[in-house]
Amino acid sequence: MPDKNQFVTIIKEHQGLIYKVTRLYTNSKEDAEDLYQDIVYQLWKSLDTFRNESKISTWIYRIALNASITHLKKEKRKGNYFAVTEDLLNKEDSKDSVQEERFDILYTHLKKLNEVEKGIIFLYLEGKSYDEIAAITGFTASNVGTRLSRIKQKISAEIKK
Amino acid sequence: MKTLWAEMSAAVEKQKKLTDSIIIKMARTNYTNKLNKIKVPETISTFVAFAAALLIIINFQKLNTWYLAVSGAAAALILLVLPILSLQSIKKMQSVNIAGSNYKQALEKYAKGKLQFVSVQKSSFYLGAILMLVVLPVEMKLIDGRDIFKGSALWFSYVIGYPFYYLFFKWVFRKYTGIINDAENILKELEN
Repeated sequence: MPDKNQFVTIIKEHQGLIYKVTRLYTNSKEDAEDLYQDIVYQLWKSLDTFRNESKISTWIYRIALNASITHLKKEKRKGNYFAVTEDLLNKEDSKDSVQEERFDILYTHLKKLNEVEKGIIFLYLEGKSYDEIAAITGFTASNVGTRLSRIKQKISAEIKK
Repeated sequence: MKTLWAEMSAAVEKQKKLTDSIIIKMARTNYTNKLNKIKVPETISTFVAFAAALLIIINFQKLNTWYLAVSGAAAALILLVLPILSLQSIKKMQSVNIAGSNYKQALEKYAKGKLQFVSVQKSSFYLGAILMLVVLPVEMKLIDGRDIFKGSALWFSYVIGYPFYYLFFKWVFRKYTGIINDAENILKELEN
């Protein structure tokens, strides 16, 4: 059984990360809520297995991304999940509507990528090095570099459309 | 793009809204629901199928013609095999080790699990079609004592029922084609 206080602290520190993953991998608020809770559940379930061989954030990225993949397999759930507080998963607190629109456009382009590309570009945007991306994804660092340049080209082409 | 992402991350960081009780509730509620979601429908359908198979096996001597005996044996076998196939494919789908796998391994397992799930679902449909064919005369014989192979009602119900089943087949299989393509594309992408 994981330590409750330790778990709460970890989730609070990384809730932004979880939010960004859920928004990237889902298309509706309900689905995002399901995925958010799924990730929290997976972290709770796996916390005892975490060994300090890697950074806690690396471990969280890995579990959040893996949970997002398995979440795609599930049939849409029908309200049997605990409802997260009303505005927890509302969009970022941005008072600037132009900025908000830019965030939306960014997510729209990223969501068009396939699952492999989505995971890699997400970690890149999060400021992870090639080695860190390799550790989380299982691709080699050089393969991450190759894939990233392909993904960037793909996004540029998409934006120019 | 990276700058925009950083701006968005900063906005998200400002948002921090989770309380201790919400976090614990999320983890615990999910835990209970997850178990129920998997267990209840699967357990009920397995129980019903096994009960029907048992009913046929116990009363097998009442199936007093060769064709009823063959139908009874086929129905019992399918009723025993179908839930096992279904449970196995669901188990496979849920077997991705989220904490112990990297993204690549999880994606690969997910895509392969999906392909296997679709092939099991397809087999289940074929077995379901055979079950529809054999279970009706067997049940009528066991419940009512009638051999409906001798009348025209059975053949009439096949003529009415199977076109619907065929259309349902086509509709479901069209959906599966999309799932198969997605999974195959992921596997191809992982190889690149």
